[in-house]
Amino acid sequence: MELARTGARRPRGRAVPAALAIGVVLLAAGCVPGTDGSGAAGAGTGAATAIPDPAKAGKTTLTVWDQEIRGGTNGEIQQLNREFERKYPNVRIKRVARSFTDLKTTLKLAVSGNHPPDVIQANQGYPDMVAFVRAGLLAPLDNYAGIYDWNTRYPATLLNLNRVSADGDDFGRGRLYGISQTGEYIGLYYNKGVLKRAGLQPPRTWGEFTDGLARLKDRGELPIQFGNLDKYPAIHTFGVLHDQLGAAGARDTVLGRGDGFDNAATKDAAATLADWAKRGYLPGGANGLGYDDAAKKFASGDGAYLLTGTWQLADLKKPMGDRLGIMPPPPAKAGGDPVTTGGQGLAWSITSRSRHPEVAAAYLDFLTDAHAADVMTRHGVLPAVPARAAAGVSPDSVDGQMIAGWKRLSAADGLVPYLDYSTPTFYDTLSAALQGVVSGKTSPDSFAATLQKDYGAFMKKQREQHTSAGPR
Amino acid sequence: MRLAALTRAYRRRAPGEPRAIGYLYILPALIVYAVFLLYPFGQSVWLSFVNWDGLTVATPAGFDNYRALFTDASLRAPFLHALLLLLFYAALPVAIGLLLAAVMSRARVRGMTFFRTVLFLPQVLALIVVGVAWRSILAPDGLLNDALRAVGLGGLARPWLGDYTWALPAVGVVGTWVGTGLCMVLFLAGAQRIPRELYEAARMDGAGPLREFRTVTLPGLRPQIAVALTLTIVAGLRNFDLIYITTGGGPGNATSVPAYEVYHRAFETNQVGSAAAVGVALTVLIFVLTVTVSRLVEGRRA
Amino acid sequence: MTTRLERNVTYGILALFTVIALTPVIGILTTAFGAQNSLDTGFSLPKDGLHWSNFADAWSRGHFGTYLGNSVLVTVVVVAATTVLAILAGYAFGVMRFPGSTVLFHLFVIGLTLPQEALIVPLYFDLRHAELTDSYWALILPQTAQSLAFGVFWMRTYFRGSARAVIEAARIDGANTWTTLWRVLVPMGRPAISTMVVITFMWTWNEFLMALVMVSDEAHRTVPLGLAFFQGRHSSDAALLAAASVLIALPVVVVYVALQRRFIEGMLGGAVKE
Repeated sequence: MELARTGARRPRGRAVPAALAIGVVLLAAGCVPGTDGSGAAGAGTGAATAIPDPAKAGKTTLTVWDQEIRGGTNGEIQQLNREFERKYPNVRIKRVARSFTDLKTTLKLAVSGNHPPDVIQANQGYPDMVAFVRAGLLAPLDNYAGIYDWNTRYPATLLNLNRVSADGDDFGRGRLYGISQTGEYIGLYYNKGVLKRAGLQPPRTWGEFTDGLARLKDRGELPIQFGNLDKYPAIHTFGVLHDQLGAAGARDTVLGRGDGFDNAATKDAAATLADWAKRGYLPGGANGLGYDDAAKKFASGDGAYLLTGTWQLADLKKPMGDRLGIMPPPPAKAGGDPVTTGGQGLAWSITSRSRHPEVAAAYLDFLTDAHAADVMTRHGVLPAVPARAAAGVSPDSVDGQMIAGWKRLSAADGLVPYLDYSTPTFYDTLSAALQGVVSGKTSPDSFAATLQKDYGAFMKKQREQHTSAGPR
Repeated sequence: MRLAALTRAYRRRAPGEPRAIGYLYILPALIVYAVFLLYPFGQSVWLSFVNWDGLTVATPAGFDNYRALFTDASLRAPFLHALLLLLFYAALPVAIGLLLAAVMSRARVRGMTFFRTVLFLPQVLALIVVGVAWRSILAPDGLLNDALRAVGLGGLARPWLGDYTWALPAVGVVGTWVGTGLCMVLFLAGAQRIPRELYEAARMDGAGPLREFRTVTLPGLRPQIAVALTLTIVAGLRNFDLIYITTGGGPGNATSVPAYEVYHRAFETNQVGSAAAVGVALTVLIFVLTVTVSRLVEGRRA
Repeated sequence: MTTRLERNVTYGILALFTVIALTPVIGILTTAFGAQNSLDTGFSLPKDGLHWSNFADAWSRGHFGTYLGNSVLVTVVVVAATTVLAILAGYAFGVMRFPGSTVLFHLFVIGLTLPQEALIVPLYFDLRHAELTDSYWALILPQTAQSLAFGVFWMRTYFRGSARAVIEAARIDGANTWTTLWRVLVPMGRPAISTMVVITFMWTWNEFLMALVMVSDEAHRTVPLGLAFFQGRHSSDAALLAAASVLIALPVVVVYVALQRRFIEGMLGGAVKE
């Protein structure tokens, strides 16, 4: 509230002539650049036919925006960047790393600016990737996918999450606009020491897990550590609960062919989340606790479980050592197939106005090939496609547990995409509504209705667009 | 001959007389000011009448963007929050400032320079720094909750910035912290200027502290109150930095304010026309409030 | 004629509000010297000596060296431009009469209440169209325009108050308007001008929204923006965050302590004089 450029004087009564003068300026203000639609850049095509050779690109600076700021991924990216620069001494990588939230709030400004970064990490789904594609800001990568065999490197289900239809209307099919480096899933981290104190074993079924929560609470332990000040973490927690009640339906909904959110699965999952908060299974006032602060508390022994992504593993492992364990959320029946929210890390994409698309493509390939996968594994990061090094990881170590979980989930097709992909505004809608559920302010019914309102309106718009564009 | 006389006359004109050279002096400032402030404002007004996602072709929207300010709850809420915040950003600092000025106007204070420097300090800190400091104070295990627990009021401790009911007042308290010093300094300076004889006369009439405040101090501080209200209202409605760094509008949308909504809509969710309408409405609100204040408090007639 | 009680109450209240005003500031200062990676998420006292290295870490890991350089450059140019332009315009408004001067002056005064939020959206698209985003110009030009509203108003007040007789004497000595301004009035007006300079300095140094919108490139980032993103990356590392905050606030606080009279005078506008 500092007096930002505001003097003490109030406009006096003689404001009339000034108002008139402003009126003149108003008339002069015709149009704002870009309102004629000229801001939408034409989509680049990626015309390459042979493997690009960055060594021949001359002196090049590649600007890269990513959000890999945690210990594991940060170290892995730093190492790969160094290696890429050593391999191609003519290329310098200018890396800008910021938190997921900060990246999300500034990326739109950056890619639509005059000098967009060459490579960005874009969140999949309608809010970011589809919006960028629609505006012609990302370059399609299908040609490169052919040249570099990305199509065979990745399972189709993962690759499809980085696809957008050519008209920019639909997510999940069409052209390829990015590839992901890491695999990720929301796992159940547990503190072996805390479980032991409460006389519990790592749960084998979902029922064992939920029954254990009450016991932990009785023993004076915090059952589940959770911080939701940053708004997005509850998307993951809710996603896991939602998946347990109907993974297939949830996936169809995200991909635009399901029945939406006005259903029992949504309401029951929200009710469970609210119930956990009410019973004190989650820390009181989770909405006021930062996501990273919560992880820090879990690492220091506060909390038996932490439901979050595999991206936290490296940072948790450092202070916790052997006390840390991870598994996919336990299945309904012992030995059954697990389901959870996840898929892959944010997509690495090339902007359509990059002046070095070939170098960028080579960089993307370098970040995702088998060697990179091994570097990731050594840094405690889960690669989307584990390579040789993963086989050498002890299955009893927490890294081994993480990799084994990934393999089980992939084999059982148990990964449900993040719910915030669903509509252009769904990240905001869902994260805001979930804060309401956690605080007990929003009932499961009105939560489901809020989600459905956003989702239904978007689906209606999609259908209209498809009808007007004719059958295809 | 006539020309020479004219030139001579022109050169000899007294300073108060018209001279075209004034335009030359004003021109550079006016150009920068018009191009980078007035013109964009005009464009904002224009933008507020179109639907535009920032990328494709803009389409006329008539008054839709303005109508939505009243009909759309997600747009109405930020303005209600802003008005509520004014209690903390403007009313409370002025009230506290007056109270203190009333108490202190009766005594001469030594070391006034020191107190003034310290009390005014919050005004010069970057709001981003203020936000970082207060985020820490209001955190679940931050200073405020620690203090509450230490005095046995642990039951009141809560995650202030993450609580639906308390997040808005919590952000408001930060505004009170920033604004109170300004009001105090302003009123103290004003109170020192009120002729001592008025107080003496009031005391001769047997006035107690309360009546003295009502009949001498308050009327004497009218201009300062108007200035304080104007400054705090304008600053309170433009609190983007603080919201961005402390809550980002959360939890839910409990602390969204127009200033934040402009950024959010224009640069995050591609509703440029709506963002412009919020900006223009904010301008109108500031204008109406400041003019009202100067009329009411100062009793100025246009 | 004040009683002892009244005096004690007065000092008591002043002391209380001094503590309230200083607590967050001192909290940040002590935390800045604390150990990194401590599990405390709030303020803390340094327990095992002063960790001066936090500042070096914030400086290098947060790139604050670069950001400070950018902030200095932008601030210096904005302050210099505002000062010259406001002196020229304020001079004309203050001592000359010409048709339309009232309307033009009120045009500037309106800028005092016009919120940035009401123009930043089209301004961004304009500057992007002119290829000026991600450059120092995108920070300098709009901020100069915004500072001019106050600057012109402030300088006009000074020139109006400066003695007619001085101007008249200079004129009789054969000085034209230009030399009168720079040789006589500006040297006399140093206090008023320095007030404008410190206020503009503070506003520009602390500016956040403009930098957030206009600059996405790290090379042009200013310190408040740097701190916001630094908080995103190190939100759980209270010591580093506090150290970075201190680095940012320090320049303004130092100038403020040295010249507090100018700050207060400027920020309260002409009110105190009325």
